[in-house]
Amino acid sequence: MSNSVISVISRFLEEYTTTTSNKLKVVDAYLLYILLTGALQFLYCLLVGTFPFNSFLSGFISCVGSFILAVCLRIQINPQNKGDFLSISPERAFADFLFAHTVLHLVVMNFIG
Amino acid sequence: TTSTGLLGTLLLTLALAGAQALTPSHHLCLADVARLQNFLSQQFTDLESAYYSVVGLSKLGTTVPDQDVCQFVKAYLDPTSVESLFFAAETSQAISGCEIPVSNETRDILLAAVSEDSTMSQIHQAVSALSSLGLPVASQEVVGALAVLVTLDSRLSQHAEIGGILEEIEVSLIYFQKFEEGLEATAMFVTAAYSLSDHVEIEPPLKEDQVIQLVNSIFSKKSWDSLSEAFSVASAAAALSTNRFHVPVIVTAQGPATVSHSQPTLQLLVTDVLSQPLTTANVLVESATAVASKSVILSQAPFTLNDGVFELNFMSSQPASGYYQFSIAVTGDTRLVANHVELKVKVSTEVAITNMDLSVVDKDQSIGTKTNRVDYPSKAKSQFTADSHQNFAMSFQLVDINTGVELTPHQTFVRLHNQKTGQEVVFVAEPDSKNLYKFELDTAERKSEFDSISGTYSLYLIVGDATLENPILWNVADVNLKFLDEEAPATIQPKTLYVPKPEIQHSFREPEKKPPTFVSNAFTALVLSPILLLLIILGANISNISFSPSTILFHVGHAALLGLMYVYWTHLNMFQTLKYLAIIGGITFLAGNRMLAQKAVKRLVHLLMLSVFYPSEWSPLRPLGVVLSRRSGCSISVAPSFGPQRMSLVPGSEKQRGVVPT
Repeated sequence: MSNSVISVISRFLEEYTTTTSNKLKVVDAYLLYILLTGALQFLYCLLVGTFPFNSFLSGFISCVGSFILAVCLRIQINPQNKGDFLSISPERAFADFLFAHTVLHLVVMNFIG
Repeated sequence: TTSTGLLGTLLLTLALAGAQALTPSHHLCLADVARLQNFLSQQFTDLESAYYSVVGLSKLGTTVPDQDVCQFVKAYLDPTSVESLFFAAETSQAISGCEIPVSNETRDILLAAVSEDSTMSQIHQAVSALSSLGLPVASQEVVGALAVLVTLDSRLSQHAEIGGILEEIEVSLIYFQKFEEGLEATAMFVTAAYSLSDHVEIEPPLKEDQVIQLVNSIFSKKSWDSLSEAFSVASAAAALSTNRFHVPVIVTAQGPATVSHSQPTLQLLVTDVLSQPLTTANVLVESATAVASKSVILSQAPFTLNDGVFELNFMSSQPASGYYQFSIAVTGDTRLVANHVELKVKVSTEVAITNMDLSVVDKDQSIGTKTNRVDYPSKAKSQFTADSHQNFAMSFQLVDINTGVELTPHQTFVRLHNQKTGQEVVFVAEPDSKNLYKFELDTAERKSEFDSISGTYSLYLIVGDATLENPILWNVADVNLKFLDEEAPATIQPKTLYVPKPEIQHSFREPEKKPPTFVSNAFTALVLSPILLLLIILGANISNISFSPSTILFHVGHAALLGLMYVYWTHLNMFQTLKYLAIIGGITFLAGNRMLAQKAVKRLVHLLMLSVFYPSEWSPLRPLGVVLSRRSGCSISVAPSFGPQRMSLVPGSEKQRGVVPT
């Protein structure tokens, strides 16, 4: 059982390292970073309390929003989805990503209090 | 029903207000006349003040010491001034035996003043002076000059005739009724209107209520600012009391309008505005109505004149005590105005307390009650004791001493006063249907009102009413009350109502509980830690960054954007932030556009190159290269690494359109 799980995971990792492009790996690293940040904030909220509630909310919303934007970016620049995004070049996708980020963080900063 | 009640009250109020508006509410009482005389008897300072004083006093019917005035007038007279001549002539006219010498020049000056070039008041002064000095007046000239002046005055232009001026009075009345012209002008208007009416023997077109309003407005002011104002009031008072058409009647009760058995006659003063009694008048009570029951007690009863006072013995019609509305008519002269007056008269009486019985009754009624009779104003000899099983009872009657009729005054109270603590408790005694007052004190039920303090209480009876001449406060007896659960009397302090209340402190919102600083800082570090991970991973990928200006500018701009976000958090407001954001964002956008375009070109060139090698696989990308070359305008400089020789692999082919060889 555990053996098979280990083998599945190792197979997955192997496939990932070999077939996934470098760009996507960078995006995945960014996603992991955001995930960890959001999780730690949530942990703090669980352990200590929500006291500056708007600060917590803006931080967490920032994480969620960034994660969603990064996932969108990843979908758009993934070569396997090329057929769906013919009119959107990876550079265009990255520019959109940055623009959306700017707007998102304007809101987040406004809300942070 | 409430609304109809309100409406009724409103209508009644309006009716009352209307009725009050029709009665002269102000006149000059004797004291006012004396003050006015005193005010007018000032030391003269010039001819004008002499004129106001002397003529004003003569209007009030007072004589002036002649000799001094005559000398003063002669000394101050300026024979060249029309105004001075007018004052002197009128003053000398008011006193007897004072001749003003008139020279021919003086006469010429006065006659010359009667012309179209003078003002209205100059003509008035000149003509008055001429007639007072006994000089002939060319009336035709005066009328001619006046007619011209009247035509010039737009307000009077329609009515150049004397009769027309009477109509004009009616128009002017509208101004004066609003009292807009001031007291002096209103008073002079009244004087002039009645002088003119007397002269032409036509009744002035004033209605009764208008006359009353003028009377009220002229005599409401009881202290006068100037001699001329006092003079005008005196003139108006004289005009209103002696003219041939309207004499306002002032009806006042002498003293309070109260009758009783000791003072059975109602005494009325019926006077003109100067408080001179109208002795020729007939005064009649049209009806006297009880205010409470609306029943008519008396009708068509005449008052009799007795030494200037009109009297009526109202008690002979045996009214019950209370208030009565008198409707009084003054007749006997057609000139009388405001001669129907409403008057409220109080009939007061004296009260006696009879059949005062005190008793202590057992609640179970097993023992027959023994009553003690007490006579006013003595106090019961024995002390009464009531415990919680007994009631203290009291019964009495209130009767009119004079008629023996039972009375129910407004205020009938029983007061119990604790002799030791000073506490007092007051109850209302209510009459039953036979007007017998009964008061019963249930000691068990009422103990809370006494704070359960047993002890000796003084029992007082209080009787009062506006129509009672002898209000009563009678210490009837002493009562010893015993309550069941007696509390310590020390707890009963006299209640201090006027101590300051505790100060109200504003309480701010409690701050939320904060976690320890250590925990916060640790989690701050923890939350930031994943960025290290990201940097480590990215570090491996930073190698293929290019250092073209646009790239550097883009990265710097992006960093600036992040910095701006921080500054927005700490310092700026939204509008400032948006301004800076537009600047930095614009630069970053341009730089990023260029950088990404370069990257895209690089990538596409790669693709195109690949498509050259593998036409079948990359064929969908061919049009893209064409678009790119047209749009970006950057001549796709094929990187040296690709080499021109590779391009030359496809000369003349249609793919050449996409790639412009250098």
